[in-house]
Amino acid sequence: MTETTTKIIELKGITKEYNPRKSFFSKKENKVVALNNINIGIKKGEILGLVGQSGSGKTTMGRLLVKLEEPTRGTILMNNSPVNNLKGRDLKNYRSRMQMIFQDPYQSLNPHLSIAETILEPLNIHKIGTIAQRQEKVIHTLETVGLSPGKDYYSRYPHQLSGGQRQRVAIARAIVIEPEFIVADEPTSMLDATIAIQLFGLLIRIREKYNMTFLFITHNLAAAKYLCDRIAVIHEGNIVEINAASEIIRNPQHPYTKKLIQVQPGFHFNHLS
Amino acid sequence: MSLILLVENLSIGYNTKKGVLKAVDNISFRLEWGRSLGFVGESGCGKTTIGMTLMGLLPENGSILSGSINFQGKELTRMKEDQWRGIRGKDIAMIFQAAMNALNPVIRVGDQITEAIVTHNPDLLPEQINDRLKTLFDLVEIPESRISDYPHEYSGGMKQRAVIAMALACTPKLIIADEPTTALDVIVQDQILKEIKKIQQAMDMSLIFISHDIAVVSQVCEDICVMYAGQIVETGTREEVFQSPKHPYTKTLLASYLSLDSDEDIAIPKLMETPDLINAGSGCRFSGNCHCRSKGCLTDAPDWINVSSTHKVFCCEQGVNQSKIKIGSCKDHD
Repeated sequence: MTETTTKIIELKGITKEYNPRKSFFSKKENKVVALNNINIGIKKGEILGLVGQSGSGKTTMGRLLVKLEEPTRGTILMNNSPVNNLKGRDLKNYRSRMQMIFQDPYQSLNPHLSIAETILEPLNIHKIGTIAQRQEKVIHTLETVGLSPGKDYYSRYPHQLSGGQRQRVAIARAIVIEPEFIVADEPTSMLDATIAIQLFGLLIRIREKYNMTFLFITHNLAAAKYLCDRIAVIHEGNIVEINAASEIIRNPQHPYTKKLIQVQPGFHFNHLS
Repeated sequence: MSLILLVENLSIGYNTKKGVLKAVDNISFRLEWGRSLGFVGESGCGKTTIGMTLMGLLPENGSILSGSINFQGKELTRMKEDQWRGIRGKDIAMIFQAAMNALNPVIRVGDQITEAIVTHNPDLLPEQINDRLKTLFDLVEIPESRISDYPHEYSGGMKQRAVIAMALACTPKLIIADEPTTALDVIVQDQILKEIKKIQQAMDMSLIFISHDIAVVSQVCEDICVMYAGQIVETGTREEVFQSPKHPYTKTLLASYLSLDSDEDIAIPKLMETPDLINAGSGCRFSGNCHCRSKGCLTDAPDWINVSSTHKVFCCEQGVNQSKIKIGSCKDHD
């Protein structure tokens, strides 16, 4: 039983179906299976990479975990207790332990809120600490994500920051309430390589500091290999392969994983000609 | 080989509230017929500005401050708008970055491409236009049955293919591709890059390829210009630039790039300072981030140092000769 107790999150038989355009006249069901019978466990303190191409269902899985959507079938367990159909106070409590970093820092920050207001919001919602403590916590978190001195950024607005700085603010907002689990959905796909690698370094430092667990969603296998302990490859709603990060690159089993490795851009000059 | 494009000492500025922002500062490059030239650099380094200038599409607050652009004997910097119309789309065409925004959502894809053909060939008969349209769809591998679909019925990769077809509509001599695969996932990106490369070779066109992704550029282009803060800092063939980089910035870029061969404990390069392009000093712009700078770098402009007949670096002796930052291996996967 020791293995199940170390799992912070467990998905059991998760299926998610969408019914686009359910016509009144046609009896034929027109459903899209975004996720098909997913069984996966994430261990405490682990960074699990979820790699697949657009439309493979990887973002749907992230959204199910933070309960932006409900699965059609199956159970999600957090610390062995099911979190399906949580409502009211229980749902709020669950969300204080679970945060998400979104893909596009140009859209995920509210342009009307200053950096301080953005990061204070989760603290206010979950009523953590006194007002003075909250402000101190914000400055401390800003410095943790590499925006120091924190006071300089406190009253700025998103438009005054670069893309990399905005994504750091989004990360600060996610970690300020010290959740147990973070879903990072392609957090660096909009950023330059020199900025992206610094953010990866930051995520690794945060993991060590708070012992947080991450689900890292990406289509970039090389980034997943750098950041993650284990990688799950998802294809058309099915997890086709899951293994230790270095092992999956060195010894891919599934043809789709092999294809992903083959198309990964690298400095092999004669690939296209 | 004959020259198709020669750019000399080109500077481009944007008028801002704080003064003129020199987005492109004194750059020179040349492109031979049928070759492909890649521009790499981070966002804000001026690479898209170069592409827009070559299309005559600078925004209203942007202007060419000095220098010349010679395209097949024509001087583009002094071109008027009605003269541009004869060149844009016909001789020089552009593949735009965000394919989802480059297509008009309320016009059928086939009709949008027809418009590009008819504009430059008003005398064509309807059957000839139809034939041309079918050839174009064939070329970019979209089934003919999709010609009269609307853009929202296409997938991301198909939209990008349609944008490529539109750029090819009048068989231009020079194609400018500005981050054509940035919004696509790796598998579709691989298909589109192959497509661009195949078409460029089949139609014997010259290509300028702009991207922030050094690996993508290294796959498509024979010659490379690395840009930093509005200046070209290193230029050469792709083997010279990527296998024996000389400029500290090129080395940093390569070191930041994660490939499947990267070690897990690679040193994370730090770029903290972004140079001010409005009040740029005379010193080296990379000196704020350079780990091998001397006092002279802060005040004196760097020099062009010739490494070989094709490989040039805008740096100082000390920077060029420093030991290499460790980078991911360059070995061939296939």
